[in-house]
Amino acid sequence: MQAEPFLCQENSLLNNQITHLLEQALAAVQNAENTEELHAVEVACLGRNKGLNELRREVGALPKEERPAFGQNINEAVQILTAALKAKQTELAQKELNAALTREQIDVTLPGIPMPAGRLHPLTATACQIKQILGGMGYEFVDGPELEEYRYNFEALNYPPDHPAMDEQNSFFVTDTRLLRTQTTALQGRIMEQRKPPFRIATTGRCFRYEAVDATHHHTFHQIDVFMVEENISMAHLKGTLGVFARELFGQDTRVRFRPDFFPFVEPGVDYSISWTMPDGRVRWLEIGGAGLIHPNILRSYGISTERYSGFAFGLGVERIHMLRTGVSDLRLYLDNHPRFLEQFA
Amino acid sequence: MRVPLDWLKQYTEISCTAEELAERLTMGGLEVEGIELERTEERPLTPVLDVYITPNRGDCLSMAGVAREAAALMQTALHLPSAPVSEAGGEIEAAASVQVDVPHLCPRYAARVLRGIRLGPSPPWMQQRLLSAGQRPINNVVDVTNYVMLELGQPLHAFDMKGIAQSRIVVRTARIGERITTLDGAERTLTPEILVIADAEKPIAVAGLMGGADSEVADDTTDILLESAHFNPQTVRRACKLLNLRTEASYRFERTVDEAGVLAALERACELLQEMGQPAPVAGHIDVRAVPDPPIRRITLRPSRVAALLGIPLEKDTVAECLQRVGVKLEAETGNVFTALLPTWRTDLQYEEDLVEEVGRIYGYENIPEVLPAGSQTGGDSDWGRFLAKVRQPLAAAGMQEVVTHSLTGPTPWDDPADAEVVVPVRNSLSGEVSRLRRSLLPGLLQIASYSGTFSRDARWMFEIGQVWQMLQGEPAEFTAAAGLIAGSIAPPDWRREQPSADFAQMRGVIERLLDSLGIEDVEFARPSAPGALFHPGRAACVFLKGELAGVAGELHPQHAQKLPWRERVLLFELSMQVLHRHLPTGEKRFVPLPRFPAVVRDLAPRISAQMPWEAVETALKSVHEEILEEWKLTDLYKGAPLPEDVCSPTISFTFRSKHHTLTDAEVNATLEQLQNQLRQQCGARFAGEEG
Repeated sequence: MQAEPFLCQENSLLNNQITHLLEQALAAVQNAENTEELHAVEVACLGRNKGLNELRREVGALPKEERPAFGQNINEAVQILTAALKAKQTELAQKELNAALTREQIDVTLPGIPMPAGRLHPLTATACQIKQILGGMGYEFVDGPELEEYRYNFEALNYPPDHPAMDEQNSFFVTDTRLLRTQTTALQGRIMEQRKPPFRIATTGRCFRYEAVDATHHHTFHQIDVFMVEENISMAHLKGTLGVFARELFGQDTRVRFRPDFFPFVEPGVDYSISWTMPDGRVRWLEIGGAGLIHPNILRSYGISTERYSGFAFGLGVERIHMLRTGVSDLRLYLDNHPRFLEQFA
Repeated sequence: MRVPLDWLKQYTEISCTAEELAERLTMGGLEVEGIELERTEERPLTPVLDVYITPNRGDCLSMAGVAREAAALMQTALHLPSAPVSEAGGEIEAAASVQVDVPHLCPRYAARVLRGIRLGPSPPWMQQRLLSAGQRPINNVVDVTNYVMLELGQPLHAFDMKGIAQSRIVVRTARIGERITTLDGAERTLTPEILVIADAEKPIAVAGLMGGADSEVADDTTDILLESAHFNPQTVRRACKLLNLRTEASYRFERTVDEAGVLAALERACELLQEMGQPAPVAGHIDVRAVPDPPIRRITLRPSRVAALLGIPLEKDTVAECLQRVGVKLEAETGNVFTALLPTWRTDLQYEEDLVEEVGRIYGYENIPEVLPAGSQTGGDSDWGRFLAKVRQPLAAAGMQEVVTHSLTGPTPWDDPADAEVVVPVRNSLSGEVSRLRRSLLPGLLQIASYSGTFSRDARWMFEIGQVWQMLQGEPAEFTAAAGLIAGSIAPPDWRREQPSADFAQMRGVIERLLDSLGIEDVEFARPSAPGALFHPGRAACVFLKGELAGVAGELHPQHAQKLPWRERVLLFELSMQVLHRHLPTGEKRFVPLPRFPAVVRDLAPRISAQMPWEAVETALKSVHEEILEEWKLTDLYKGAPLPEDVCSPTISFTFRSKHHTLTDAEVNATLEQLQNQLRQQCGARFAGEEG
């Protein structure tokens, strides 16, 4: 900072001292290397009874008429010095901040500290997603017990007594009348006992069948079941609903195909497949689950007029959906809970 | 069922490839699960279709049955074998007699007698066909019965006349204690639920299942009785279950065989035997029928309903044509109502809707458009599902991995012996691994811990929400539980530092966070009188909500912890979802206005007995009811020098605030003094400068 020339009314000794002190102080300001040194300069020149302020006391030695001019000169000197100090302070502070920022530089390429990762099990996550899709389509989820009554699991679903259809549903019995449900469809009877149409119901949960365990069979698995009864429901409505559902789940190009199949609780009964693009680009049909129009025997047994109402039902496996979407090839992995398996699905 | 393509071609024209046929059958309802290329002598390769027949389609369990479906689907002609049988001399009435005691269980029983049979191997073409269909050739007579069963679906049985006492067949239920040695060499005890073919003295066959060894066709057989009968499906099925025996014959009877085809099968067998140079049957046949000439079965059908249920605009003619192809004839009734005349073999068709399916599959399901049901309803997860999602969320947010373990279990090393009486066993379990329903989720979590610890340092914080069962007043009852297992630090050690291992207080924090997020208040952790065998007796607590037991939390007993490959302490908790749900607050959470005046924070650091539970301190503090006392927190718990060993010093940080004004020192000090006094009186606390 350049010391600005200033006018002295009298070129007295004292005024020279002011000039001298100011020049010295400005030089010291200029030479300060850091804010601490600058602070020392400030104290030495502008502190109480120091530097310019010390010179103020000399005013008494001056003749009366020179005093105002002297005072003014000192004030001007103080102002000049203060401005210089402030400018230097800003400059040094910036410099010191820059130095500090340089010092504080870190290696941003170091790995991050892992956050504790709580994830949902892939079966739960898949079921949640399905609940959202079906919920958005107007289906109300209802829960049924895993330990189910025989009559809901079979009789209410139009299984004739001693019918071979039950061979595919080998069950774990707990008492004479209660078994581990072999299908979430068992909820149908419970709902129809309590409600009058129209209704749209969905349920999801664990099912059990007496099967040897291998990569594609398990005695414990998870199902989604959907059923609805309204006026004038047809196979076209079933196909339309499955189409929307499958496209939400598997992508907008997905198509749905029916094939005749037999389940005691639906007539007509079909299994449905979705179009699936293989890694090599070919499209295959993959069977997803069973479906059909709810059997008239079931509707009639709950006092629902089959002339007025009809309905459809479809079911599918939660594991199957996840396996299709992710390429998991062994059903057993889901209940093994291998950490290396679970951590793959955020 | 194995269907050799060559054999099938005998009954209908198949001009397409095996793959194309498989596709047509599959899309028509007979799922072809695979095509096997079989090497035979006459032709190098014969495709054999592996066809899955659904349980309702017993009529398709034969070559003729599959051919009939193929002909319907591809609109080709069907040629089934039918040849008049030439007969030898004699009279059937003199040769044998049949008496059916239980016509409702055996609606039809037909028989022929053949004399002078020369037993030997069947011709190579027949053996070849049997083999490609999966049957082992035995001798000419047995092979013919099996061949006809495979060809027409009607099981036949040949008895050696020598084994039929008084040449008399009696169809009846077994008597208590009766026994039979069946063809497989097993001696079987019969019960009155089992239908038998008996002679004048004893059972000689289990009806629809298997013949007896005494009347088996063997090398010295000359005269045989050929049986072709219709048995009640449920009766055959029950016998299968009771005797734990299944045969090709019973498989078909269970799924219903065409009663009208009984004689045709008998005649076909005689024809084949004659072709093989065997003698013609004794003149006449026996045919005992419960209903001699059953009427054609009929269903009322409205084509308009077919169109409505399929969702395709179908004309009456199209409906009639589709049904015609599967052997159903339509007769006009009145207006748009028709009568469908059903073929005898389609016993599965019982309702109008069954015909809707027939039209649908013949017309082609690919022709059904996609239409969404009209109208809209609100949907979404159940209340219970939403509640469980709310439990899952804070547990996952606490860094715990959700797991899903088996509810069907066997004994585990983690079982509490005290639970033995309430565990729910599975009745028909063959394997110990699936012999019971889990009483608790904790053994499942520990099971994962016991094998995952060997290779993984992370994933030691896990939780599960699932069903558990226990016997209540003699009945199994189902509940939902949430359980957690916590071991080691919440996150794996990183390059900066080792994280501290979790302890009881950290687990309690997780539980408190969960309950807080659900809005559940009035939570108490109390030392249990009997914490359960799984827990460290000094480091376990029962969790109470408004005094109701909601679960347990504690450290794994060191003896159990030894079984795990981890060095860290293992913390466990399990909470009843039913109890938590009962304690959910009703109504929305209300807004509390933000504070307008500053808070004053003051600490107290009393010295108290190290034996004093924190709960006692809380009780003392709670006895001070001052509006300005906003909250307190335990911020430190000091033990050690210079304090004596039996003394500790908690630092409690109090926050004071008034809703109405800025607090003065005097106000705060007055309340602080009350707090000090209560701690002195109730906990024997001493403060800095005080003696003791």
